[in-house]
Amino acid sequence: MAATGVETAETATRPSPSPRGFDARTLVRPAVIAALLLFVLLALPSMLSTYYVDASTQVAIWAIVALGLGLLVGRVGMVSLGQAAVLALGAWVAARLLFATSMPFPVVLLASGLITMVLGTLVGLPALRLSGLYLALITLMLAGAITVVLATTNFPNGGHGFLGYNGSAVHIPAIRRPSIAGTDPAFFRYAVIVAALMFLLALAHVRTRPGRAWAAIRQSESAALAAGINTTLYKLWAFALASFVTGVAGGLLAGSTRYLYSYDFTTQESITLLAVVLMGGIFSLWGAIVAGLLLQLLPQLLNSWGISPDWLTILFGIGVLQVLLTAPAGLVDQVPKDLARLGRLLVGLFRRAVPAGGRAP
Amino acid sequence: MHPFILLALSLPSWQDEQPFLVTGLALGGVYALSGVGMIVLYRTTGVLNLSFGAVGAFGALIAWQLINHSGMNQWLAYLVCVLFAGVLTLAYGAVFGPALAGRDPLVKMTATLGLTLILLGVMDLLWTSSGGASRSINLPTDNHGFMVGQVQVTTTDVIGLAVGVAVTIVTTVFLRYTKLGTAMRAMANDREITATLGVPVRRVEATAWFGCGVLSGVAGILLADLVALDATTLTFLVISSLAAALIARLSSIVVTFVAAIVIGVVDASITPIQSLTNYRDMTPFVLAAAALLVINRHRVISVSRQGI
Repeated sequence: MAATGVETAETATRPSPSPRGFDARTLVRPAVIAALLLFVLLALPSMLSTYYVDASTQVAIWAIVALGLGLLVGRVGMVSLGQAAVLALGAWVAARLLFATSMPFPVVLLASGLITMVLGTLVGLPALRLSGLYLALITLMLAGAITVVLATTNFPNGGHGFLGYNGSAVHIPAIRRPSIAGTDPAFFRYAVIVAALMFLLALAHVRTRPGRAWAAIRQSESAALAAGINTTLYKLWAFALASFVTGVAGGLLAGSTRYLYSYDFTTQESITLLAVVLMGGIFSLWGAIVAGLLLQLLPQLLNSWGISPDWLTILFGIGVLQVLLTAPAGLVDQVPKDLARLGRLLVGLFRRAVPAGGRAP
Repeated sequence: MHPFILLALSLPSWQDEQPFLVTGLALGGVYALSGVGMIVLYRTTGVLNLSFGAVGAFGALIAWQLINHSGMNQWLAYLVCVLFAGVLTLAYGAVFGPALAGRDPLVKMTATLGLTLILLGVMDLLWTSSGGASRSINLPTDNHGFMVGQVQVTTTDVIGLAVGVAVTIVTTVFLRYTKLGTAMRAMANDREITATLGVPVRRVEATAWFGCGVLSGVAGILLADLVALDATTLTFLVISSLAAALIARLSSIVVTFVAAIVIGVVDASITPIQSLTNYRDMTPFVLAAAALLVINRHRVISVSRQGI
């Protein structure tokens, strides 16, 4: 939001670039992102201890989950209170496929994404008749139901049958990882690349026709309908896309932790996820990365400093209230603004301090 | 054999079913009490208070602390719990109610999730659940009771159902026949017009917040006794009463009561059925999801402005 404001201010002062011509700015941004990505892929794993490499893998995975929820909340204006359950579905499907077949890992990721997408869309189809509040509540209900089922079926651990769960297993086999990403640093790189692909997929949607349709629906569904937008289709599309990326993230989660437990996917996790997504910022894709950092890196940092993670829960609660009251665009928007304000304040103080002696009455 | 035949074969006898029915009615009563509390607040202020369970859990834990570590009289401790829940909810309403008054109901509900997270964090800090510390609240009425046929019914069970019935009746009468109740119903229709008519909107809202908080405290104590005194369990048990409120489309108090009783009874009566017992906690979700989809099946589009 702030970035577009700056851009219009600057383009107003100089001749506007031809629509097809390359502006320097349009090249700088992808270059910076590419450099950042290369740094994360090549340098970061060797700079971090195993502990933080694991944490960073989780950041990448949860950034994808946050991306899915951020798209729903920020672009279309639909709130889901059950994304942890969707993630659990994706992880379940991926784990089942990894145990049952010898399909390559990327195929399993794609399959878990697609199956989760179908399931999510089936849930979404009837839920789309409901308006905002009811939609949020029904996702809360369905997530509750999925959690109850998962607590009984458990995650596949190499057993037989449809559920693939073997309750009496003494030696539980680990979930398989891709052959090129067996070690933790390698799996981290793998997760970052998949995350980057998911972000590109989301960007491709946001920048094109579906993104514009979602923006119209968000502003006013009746106006969007009057403008000839197939609101049902595009809402369903958003649901499908969010479910797909969350399913892929579930597959990555299965590979990264290698053992899945149903009590890791609670209703509280869904609510915390919504909290960090709102805090990170729902109107920018960067917000999803901030959300991933808040959700997965911050607890590890606090843990190594000996601070209880309960403080984090409290912080997220305060964060939600703060975002809803004063900063709807989240940290991604708020922090640069506040830094700029602080900078101006410092500059102002400095300027006032210098001539103060001369001007004093 | 077909699973349904197996199911029919394993159906428990009426004899086995009776004690669970009693539990179900008691739980249903408490769900009704919570559902009514949430609906009255929602109709008056537009806030669906998802922190209902967390506030009640906090109150119950305070009562436990006072009884077991400060040696306070039991009933006095329960009173403190109820008052604490009322004041905490009122304080939230006083600070965030006006600030968010003009926003979408979705935003107002999400804000109460913020309060829920704060309370969950504080509860886990103060009463850590790790280390196997188990707490419980045992109302003295647990030891009194009577026999219905061959089933033991404790006074607590009776209180659970009775409080649910009483709150439903009193609230219905209150909304229908008192001045304050009329003001609340007017605000449910339109806050701005009600304010123009000279109704002290803030004061009416404050009453609703306090009332909702008091009910959450009562529900917290009763559920801590009937289910378990655990912060997370009590916080998310609110979803069961929310399901009842949803079946009533967040408007009818009587439908909420009936739905809550049905949820409580179905949930409990599935317990002795071997093949379904693990899935019994799905009852509120399945019933609410089904009801919402059936109720809304003729709606084509939703025209409210959405989003946060």
